[in-house]
Amino acid sequence: ATWVCPSLSYLWPTVGYSDQWDDLNKRFSPPLTAKDVTYICPYIGALRGTLTVTNYRLFFKCTDREPVFVLDLPLGVVSRVEKIGGASSRGEVSYGLVCKDIRNLRFAHKQMEDSLRKSIFEVLMKFAFPVSNGLPIFAFEYGQVYPENGWKVYDAQAEYKRQGLPNESWRITKVNDHYELCDTYPSTLVVPVNISDEELKRVAAFRAKGRIPVLSWIHPESQATVTRCSQPMVGVNGKRSKDDEKYLQAIMDANAQSHKLFIFDARPSVNAAANKMKGGGYESEDAYQNAELVFLDIHNIHVMRESLRKLKEVVYPNIEESHWLSNLESTHWLEHIKLILAGALRIADKVESGKTSVVVHCSDGWDRTAQLTSLAMLMLDGHYRTIRGFQVLLEKEWLSFGHRFQLRIGHGDKNHTDADRSPVFLQFIDCVWQMTRQFPAAFEFNEYFLVTTLDHLYSCLFGTFLCNSEQQRVKEEVPKKTVSLWAYINSQLEEFTNPLYVNYSNHVLFPVVSMRHLELWVGYYIRWNPRMRPQEPVHQRYKELLAKRAELQKRVEELQREVTNRSASSERAGSPTRSITPVQTFV
Amino acid sequence: TLAIMIMISREKKLNPSVTKKVMGIEIVVNEVNFVRKCIGADSSQDDLWGKLICTNFKVSFITHDALCKQRFQVANRLLGEHDVPLACVEQVVTVNDAKGKQKVLGSNQKLKFNPTELILYCKDFRIIRFRFDEAGPESAKKVCLAIAHYSHPADPQLLFGFEYVGKQYYGKRMNGMDPGGGVQTPLFDRPSEWDREIKRTGAAEWRVCSVNEGYTVSPSLPEYFVVPVSLADQDLKQYSCFFTTHRIPLWCWNHPNGSALVRMASIADPLQQRKLDQRICSAITKSHPQRSDVIKSDLDKNLPNIQDIQAAFGKVRQICVIEPFEESEEKWLSSMESSRWLEYVRAFLKHSAEVVYLLEGKHVSVILQEEEDRDLGCVVSSLVQLMLDPHFRSLIGFQSLVQKEWVMAGHRFLDRCNHLKKNDKDECPLFFLFLDCVWQIMNQYPAAFEFTDTYLTVLSDSMWIPLFSTFLFNCPQQRTENSIDFAKSKCIPLGEEKALRFPPVWDWSQQFTLKDQALFNNPMYVGKGATCVQNGAVKSFRRTKKNYSSTLRGMPTSLRNGLMDGDTLTRRSSLVLRLRPDFSQIREVVESPTERFLRDWFSRPADLQGMLLPQLLPSHLALWRLYFLRWVPEARIPKGGPVTAYHKLSQVADEIEMLQNKLRQYKGVTPVSSPGAPPSDHSRMYFKASSTSEPSPEYLSSSFPFSPVGNMCRRSILGTPLSKFLNGAKIWLSTETLANESV
Repeated sequence: ATWVCPSLSYLWPTVGYSDQWDDLNKRFSPPLTAKDVTYICPYIGALRGTLTVTNYRLFFKCTDREPVFVLDLPLGVVSRVEKIGGASSRGEVSYGLVCKDIRNLRFAHKQMEDSLRKSIFEVLMKFAFPVSNGLPIFAFEYGQVYPENGWKVYDAQAEYKRQGLPNESWRITKVNDHYELCDTYPSTLVVPVNISDEELKRVAAFRAKGRIPVLSWIHPESQATVTRCSQPMVGVNGKRSKDDEKYLQAIMDANAQSHKLFIFDARPSVNAAANKMKGGGYESEDAYQNAELVFLDIHNIHVMRESLRKLKEVVYPNIEESHWLSNLESTHWLEHIKLILAGALRIADKVESGKTSVVVHCSDGWDRTAQLTSLAMLMLDGHYRTIRGFQVLLEKEWLSFGHRFQLRIGHGDKNHTDADRSPVFLQFIDCVWQMTRQFPAAFEFNEYFLVTTLDHLYSCLFGTFLCNSEQQRVKEEVPKKTVSLWAYINSQLEEFTNPLYVNYSNHVLFPVVSMRHLELWVGYYIRWNPRMRPQEPVHQRYKELLAKRAELQKRVEELQREVTNRSASSERAGSPTRSITPVQTFV
Repeated sequence: TLAIMIMISREKKLNPSVTKKVMGIEIVVNEVNFVRKCIGADSSQDDLWGKLICTNFKVSFITHDALCKQRFQVANRLLGEHDVPLACVEQVVTVNDAKGKQKVLGSNQKLKFNPTELILYCKDFRIIRFRFDEAGPESAKKVCLAIAHYSHPADPQLLFGFEYVGKQYYGKRMNGMDPGGGVQTPLFDRPSEWDREIKRTGAAEWRVCSVNEGYTVSPSLPEYFVVPVSLADQDLKQYSCFFTTHRIPLWCWNHPNGSALVRMASIADPLQQRKLDQRICSAITKSHPQRSDVIKSDLDKNLPNIQDIQAAFGKVRQICVIEPFEESEEKWLSSMESSRWLEYVRAFLKHSAEVVYLLEGKHVSVILQEEEDRDLGCVVSSLVQLMLDPHFRSLIGFQSLVQKEWVMAGHRFLDRCNHLKKNDKDECPLFFLFLDCVWQIMNQYPAAFEFTDTYLTVLSDSMWIPLFSTFLFNCPQQRTENSIDFAKSKCIPLGEEKALRFPPVWDWSQQFTLKDQALFNNPMYVGKGATCVQNGAVKSFRRTKKNYSSTLRGMPTSLRNGLMDGDTLTRRSSLVLRLRPDFSQIREVVESPTERFLRDWFSRPADLQGMLLPQLLPSHLALWRLYFLRWVPEARIPKGGPVTAYHKLSQVADEIEMLQNKLRQYKGVTPVSSPGAPPSDHSRMYFKASSTSEPSPEYLSSSFPFSPVGNMCRRSILGTPLSKFLNGAKIWLSTETLANESV
C-alpha cells in the first residue's frame, strides 16, 4: 500500500480539498469548527471561510472563490499565537500565528459570539503547545502503521561495521551503555584501542558535559579519522589533563599516515577565549604536541537565530524588489552558510588530501560540531548521499550525539522567546541543499526530501525529532510509541528520489564555497509566495525521458521477438512473405 | 573548403617547427620566442613556454611543449587553444616590473621601456598574461606594439573578415557557396523569406514592401520589410522623411489573434507627429481582423539607456573577473546589486512581459517606439516574440529571430561591439544583454528551448571573431557599401552579387565540428513532435493550430474574469482597509492589470509550446554563471555544475534516439533526415549512451566546455607590484597611459 502522509502542502496554494483528511480527522480529537472566519492572506487579501482546529492541525477553507482556497498546517509549526487588538474598533477580533516555517498567518472574526472566539483561541493555545499544557505531543497519538519500521534504519553497530570498525586501532566501548559516562552521548562509542574505560572517565571529567572525543568517521584507505567532542575545561588558569593529552595523541597515533592532528574549533577565536571565563576554552598547542588548532569562525546559536529572523523579514510576505540582494546580504544568512560549508570543506580536505586525522568541537559539541562533522562526512563518503545513508547520518551525528532538538525547536512549548531556540538544523539542511545544487547528480535524494524533512522537523507528527538525546528518547520510549519519519519517507521512496543520481564510489565532493555559487534556497524560504513558482523541474523531464526510453525498449523487444518468430515460421513454411503488424511510431 | 584549410593549418601550427606562415590568408606580423604564459595561481611551475605570435587575425601562442597540459574539450576550427582573435582584445597592457612601469597600449603608440610582461584583457572576460623574462627584449616589444596596433583597425575593411571572404574570390572559381553557407536559417534579405513569415504568423493584412530596394529611402533599413497593406509605397516614401533617419515603421510579428507587433523610430517634427502617428495607427488598426486599437510603448522612457547598460556591464565584469576573488566575496551580493546588471535584465524582461500582456491579454497591436529603433527595440521585440511564439525557441527559429530583429533591423553591431575601438561611447553590450535575458527564461524553463546555454555563450563569443556577416556591420547597407569598396580595391569581381558573401555566424561548421555542435542541443527540449510522458503514458506534442489557440482561448476568459469584474477588486480592498487598524503589516493588495495577468498565468501549469512568461521576482533572476564565471579558476566546480545533469540527460536522450532508429529499421523505413539536420547516423547528443551507469567524465566542471586553465588567477598577482596597479579599478575602461607611475 502507498501511504499518503497528511503532511504539509509542499506547494502553495493547496488546491482542492483532501478527502483523506476527513478519515484522519476521525482518529484525531473532535475538531472545533468556526464559520465566517476571515483569513487575511498577504497575497490575495481577505478570504472568508471555515476554520477547523484539531489536536494536530489547523484547517481553513474558503469556498467562495475559484479555485477553492485551502490552508492546512500542523499546529507543530506554530511558534506563537497572539491576539491582535481587542474587541475595540469595530468589534472584530483577530489573532496572528507566527510559524516556524517562515510564515505568519492572520485570522479575524467578524463580530462573533464571544464564547466561540474564546474557544478557538483556547483550542489553538492548547493544542499548539501541548507540552506547556501537560499534554502529550501528537506524535504519541498518531499511530499510523507503515510497511517499514523507521526506527530500524540506524543501527550504530552496523554503521560502524560498514566503516570497518572495530579494527586494530579503534574499539567499540560499552562504557556508556547506561549513559553514565555522558548522558547526551549515544550508548555505542568508538574510541582508540589503547585507551581504557577508566581513562575515558578521566577524559570525560576534562571535557564539557563529559563529551569526550569519539570517532565519527574513518577513511577507508588512509585510516584518517573525524572525531568529535566538546571543549576542554581549560578555564582561566589554563588547566591541563594528562589523560586528555594522551587521548588526543592516541587518536593521532591511530593514523599512521600523518604525524599531525588538526583540532578544528568551530567558534570564532574570541568566543573560544571568552569561554575560559566559564571554565571552558580550547586546547593550547603547548599542551597538545603535534596538534594544530584552527578556529572556523562560526557564530553561536543566538547569532544564527537573529540572522534567520532578519531573513524572514526580508522574504516574508513579500520581497522588496529594489534592494533584494543587499537586503539579503544584510541578513548574513548566506555568509553563515558559507562559513559552515567552508569549515566542513577544510575538514574534508584535511582528511582526504592531507590524510590527517581531525578533532572537531565547539563549546558543547552538539550544534556547530554536528553541522561540521555531518557535512564533512557527506563530502567524504558517498554512502551518506543515498537516501538511507542520509537518514543514518542524521540519526548518528545529530540524534544519537544529542543535538538538542527539543530545545532548539521548542516542540509544543509556548515559550517562543526561549534563548535556546536556534535554526542550527535548518542551516545544515540548507548547506546540504547548496551541495545538491553544485552536484546535481551526486545525491540520491531530491529537494522535496529536504523540504519534507524540514516540515516534519516542526510538525510533531513523527517521533524522529523529539527529545534532546538518545537517553531521553529511550526513557520516553519514543521508538516504541511514535512513528519514525523514515517509515513514511521509505514507504514512498519514488517521491524523494533524484532520478539523475549516479552512484560514484569513492568520489569525494569538494563544493566551491563562494558567494558566487551560494544562493538563497528560494524553494524553501519563499515557497509561500504564490508568485514563486518552482522552476520547471529538470528531474521531471528526466523521468519522462526514462519512461519514454522504457516504452521504446518494450516496442523494440516486441518487434525483435516478432522478427524471430517470423523467421522461425518462415523457415518452416519456406515462404518469405512479409506480414508485419503495423507499428505506430510516435515521432 | 576554407574551414578545413584553416583547420589543417592549425594542426600544422601545433608543430613547433612550422611558424613562418600560419595560414594562407593569415599573415604573421610579428613574433617572439621563449615566452612564458602564466598558468599557475601560486607558482610558475605550470606555466607554458612557447612562441607568441601576432597575425592580422589573432594573437597566437604556440607551446614548445608537445604534450600540452592544457586541454580544452571543444576546439574552435578557427582558433587554437591559446589564441585570442584581435577583435576580442579589449586592452593591451605592458609592464616592466623592474622599472615599475606600465602602459596601456593603443594604436600607433610608442613604448619607452622593454616590457617584461604583457596582459591581455579580452572582451569575453578572459585575462591572459605573458612574461618575457627569457625572450628577446626588442622582439617582445615589437609583438606588443603589433598586437596593440592590429587590435585597433582604422577601417572596417581591415577587419579580418574581408581578407577571409576576399580570399574566396581569388584565383579559384566561385564554388557556388550560397550566401547562407548551407544554413537553413532565413536571413531575411529576400522578399520570399518575409512572405513565408507573414504566412506562418497568419498576418493576412500585411505585405512585403520593396520601397527601400537599393537603400534609396533609408540607409539603415533592410531592402525588404513588411508594412500594412493599406499603406502604399508612395505613402511610405512620403512619410519616411519625418522619421529619424527615415526609418519607416517595421512589422515584427503577428499574434494568432491578429494583433501585430511593430517597431518604429521617433518622429522628429512635432507638427507632423500627431498626424503621422494617426495615419500609422489607423493603418495598423485596419490590418487587425478585429480592428483593435494600437498602443505605443515608449522604450526610451521606460528602459535604461545604452550608457547605463554599458556601465552596468563594466561593473559586473569588474566584480566577476578583475577584483580579487576573496576580497570581493564579502560584499558580493551588494556589489552585484550596485552593478545594476540584473536590474536591467529584469527591466527588459518586465517590459517585454508587459507588451506580451497587451498583445495576448488586451488583443491590441503594439508599437515599440525608440528614438532610432536600432537598440532597445531589438531587445524588446525579440524577447516578446520569444515569449509568445514557440517557433523562436527552436534553434533555427531563434537564429531567424536574431537575423530579423537585429541584423536586418539595423542594430549597429560594428559600433556597439566597438570593433574599430574608435568611439568607446558607442560601445554597448545590448546583444549580450538580450542573450542574458534569454538565459533567464531558459533557466526558468529548461525544457522550453531547443538549444543550451553553451550555445548562447558560444554565440556571444562569436561576436569577437570578425568574420561573420552577423556581427560585422551596422546595417545591411553598410555591408553592401563596404563590400563594393573592398571588391574594387582588391579587384574582386562581384558579378551578379550585391555584396561579398560573408558567412553568417549560423554556419556553425565554420567554427565547430558536427560533434562539437551537438553541445548546442538541449536533450530536454519539448519541441514540435517531441514527446512527453504524463502519468506514465506517452503522448506527443504537436503544435497544431488547435492546440495553440486553445491555450490562447483559455487565457482571455480568465483574464476577463479578472479584469472586467472591477467590483471584486473594490470589495476586496475595502475589506482590507476596514481591517487595517488591526493588521498594520497587511498591505493593500493593489495589482496592475499586467500583474494580474501574470499572476493568473502563473497559477496554471505552463505549456512549453505556448506562451511562456518569466518569473520576475528579483529572487528568481540569477547570475549567468557559465558566461560570467567560466574563466575564473577559483569558481570552477570540479566534477560538478549543471553539466553533470546535462550529461545524464544527454545519455538518455541518445538512447532514445537509438531506439527510435531501431524501430524505424524494423519498420523497414530508411531513416529520412529532415533537410538540414545532421545525417541520421550522427547523434544529436554530445554525450553518448553507455551500457553501464558510469560516473560523469573527470573533465566535467561548472566551466565546461570552457576551461579556466590558462587564465589569470588573481591570486598570482596579489603581492606583486602589479596587484596594486590592477586594483586601481579604472584600468579596464581607461585608455590613459599610466606609465611612469612607480609603485
